[in-house]
Amino acid sequence: MTTKLKRLALTLAAISASGLFLPGAFASDPVKGGTLIYLEQQAHTNLYPPAGGFYPNGGILNQITDKLTYQNPKTLEIEPWIAESWTVNADATEYTFKIRSGVTFSDGTPLDAAAVAKNYDVFGLGNKELKQPVSEVINNYERSEVVDPQTVKFYFKKPSPGFLQGTSVIGSGLVAASTLALPFEQLGDATKIIGSGPFVVDSETIGKELNLKAREEYAWGPAKLEHQGRPYLDGIKYIITGEDSVRIGALLAGQADFIRQVQAYDEKQVEAQDYQIYAPSTRGVNNSVVFRPDNPLVADVRVRKALLHATDAKEIVTTLFSANYPQATSIIASTALGYRDISAKLAFDPEKAKALLDEAGWTVGANGLRQKDGKELVLTAYESLPQPQNKETLQLVAQQWGKLGVKLTVLAGDSGSRIVDDLDPLKTPVSPAMVGRADPDVIKSQYYPKNRDVLRQKGGQSDKVQSFADDKLNGLLEALSSEPDREKRLAIAGEVQDYVVDQAYAIPIFEEPQAFAGAPYVQGIAFEAVGRPSFYSTWLAEH
Amino acid sequence: MSGYLLNRLGQALFVLWAAFTISFVLLQAMPGDAILIKFQNPELGLNPQQIADIRASYAADSAIWVQYIQTIGRFLTGNFGYSVQVGVPVSTMLAAHLPATLKLASLGFLLAAIFAAVIAFVSSLTPFVWIRGALQSVPSLFISIPTFWLGIMLIQIFSFRLKLVPVINPGPWQELILPVITLAVPISAPLAQVLVRNIDDVLTSPFVAVARAKGATRQWVLWRHVAKNALLPTLTIAGVLFGELIAGAVVTETVFGLNGIGGLTGRAVGSQDAAVLQAIVVFSALAFVIINLIVDLLFPVLDPRLRTKAGATA
Repeated sequence: MTTKLKRLALTLAAISASGLFLPGAFASDPVKGGTLIYLEQQAHTNLYPPAGGFYPNGGILNQITDKLTYQNPKTLEIEPWIAESWTVNADATEYTFKIRSGVTFSDGTPLDAAAVAKNYDVFGLGNKELKQPVSEVINNYERSEVVDPQTVKFYFKKPSPGFLQGTSVIGSGLVAASTLALPFEQLGDATKIIGSGPFVVDSETIGKELNLKAREEYAWGPAKLEHQGRPYLDGIKYIITGEDSVRIGALLAGQADFIRQVQAYDEKQVEAQDYQIYAPSTRGVNNSVVFRPDNPLVADVRVRKALLHATDAKEIVTTLFSANYPQATSIIASTALGYRDISAKLAFDPEKAKALLDEAGWTVGANGLRQKDGKELVLTAYESLPQPQNKETLQLVAQQWGKLGVKLTVLAGDSGSRIVDDLDPLKTPVSPAMVGRADPDVIKSQYYPKNRDVLRQKGGQSDKVQSFADDKLNGLLEALSSEPDREKRLAIAGEVQDYVVDQAYAIPIFEEPQAFAGAPYVQGIAFEAVGRPSFYSTWLAEH
Repeated sequence: MSGYLLNRLGQALFVLWAAFTISFVLLQAMPGDAILIKFQNPELGLNPQQIADIRASYAADSAIWVQYIQTIGRFLTGNFGYSVQVGVPVSTMLAAHLPATLKLASLGFLLAAIFAAVIAFVSSLTPFVWIRGALQSVPSLFISIPTFWLGIMLIQIFSFRLKLVPVINPGPWQELILPVITLAVPISAPLAQVLVRNIDDVLTSPFVAVARAKGATRQWVLWRHVAKNALLPTLTIAGVLFGELIAGAVVTETVFGLNGIGGLTGRAVGSQDAAVLQAIVVFSALAFVIINLIVDLLFPVLDPRLRTKAGATA
């Protein structure tokens, strides 16, 4: 097989890996036993399940907690897990789940309807006293009702069609009552997180390593998975290894089995030695550059449109990334639910960009920078540390905009002023942004003022915003999160994508994968729908 | 003697207080804080009102002088507060991270002293000028090597290529080999320079000429007379180098993923975890003060001339 073909096959395999074993020389019966050495780039911060969006947190929570439902990463269909079955009323305001019997948390307490209700009351409403925040995947939650020991019912104030998918995501891991009783700040201690998952926290050294061990009596994996019963591995050892070169080197030198966060430029080195790159899509909002229109410099849609057409996403992808980072064709990934191809509106067109800036009154001054009313078109963005090669991406964007006479200053992501400046549109008119989740609700998560509020609207995350608010966008987002009819909902998702690009609020650049690498003998690696690894069916072949 | 001691103690307390106050002011002056960094995280989806509530619960926005007095009061009673980022008492974190750094720093310093002594004495004893020249340029080389690069190179060569020591999942002593070398190299440089310089100075002293005239060999003079005299200034430098040791530990521990005070500092800086940083600064200042106090007190022990002087002025 040529390298190209092999890479394609591996990519396909990785994308579709849903507990299926990868084809290869080792395809045989799974071997039981062994400990997987997993190198993580960053230490986990907090293991309150709704904080699982942060990859290091999600990579742990996905092994130690189970979810009510399982989203098949291949079909994106919702399948039974802890819930055997469910019903939803017509306007998606009442959900009833039948809970599988015999499931217990690792402290021995039962995972029954009452335990599920308790979890969702916290995730849906938060707990002020314990500082536990509301989960971003649950909208319009009102209350729970324990119908009988194995049946739980949830009521919503308004239709909440995204809830069923929300029960399958990393942020909805079910934990024991003793965990929920702890204040938020104590949930950074992994040993206090009691779940019902295939692995249990054995020991941890905060900031250095975490050991998981298999739960022998585990017998409640997702019903449709081929693998049932206890996990094949005896344990997983997470070791925090911040240095990119040390992670790659250790993997290739045989000191580790699986690593997270492989930069695109390291992929060749890994593949050259027959190791595997896994790059599951995060299926959410693409890696983008967004504007804060409250800043007068980018308040004019023509200016934003000009910058959109001045951005050559193809150059960025081919220069900095690899085939695992497809160029964006909408604000969400092509593998995301509700995706609409709007690549025609995203074309790189420097002539059009120039014309738009001229039309908006920004003329090139003596120093080569565009000027209007004595002001120069100089913008600032902070690099986002978790995004792959974000500084390089922004710097390339800055070069591309520079050709038009627009200056973009890229500031370091670890500077102390970032978090404060980022709330102020006057200081950060431009920002990188992305978020992963396999439900159209993800668009709302990203843009809605009460959620991530990437555009910085009035009444949102920041009190520095003077006046900007887009009621039409917010209306669409609200409709998106409360339209019970699937077809209509996906149509609204399409409408939002068109609207965001028509307003040039965002410049999508590429579909962001999570890149992992594994040794050839590591088999049965699976990923949940947005790219967190699941080691339930993983096994180590002879080597 | 007791006057000398009291004077020294007073100075030490002043240094501690100054380190505390300056770091407190600097940490307060930084825009943003740990609470903001932790809770402004969009993944948590908190609205501004919730964040304000959390800030109030931490009393993060009370007047600076109130916070200053409260913090100093807490420190005096041995309570270093809570880490906002990790949610664990700072004293627990320090206790967990201190042993690794103590091991790394003391072994690093020991190795640096050996490096320095070998360079200095071999270059002084060697009859060949070219060896002397080569050895004496080593400190300049050592001090110019970035710790970060050295660490990565040692890992690449000794762990990944030659597979001599694992860096992932090593044994308790294995894990120290490469970091100790990494840390020792830059620390040994100034030690060696000062030692070489002093040996040269002492060798030209009249008493050396007298000893030589009486028929002592070069080695004998070096060991019996020169070494003792040349060590005094080196000891002073060694006390000052403790700061370098801590700074080097931050880089070394980060590269090697060691769980010590250096790595803790790096992470705490990233999340502006003021309580942790404050405690680390005070601890480092305390260690610095103690080490220099010991060095000062050792002087009269090593050098009888200082003993009589101190006695005369007291």
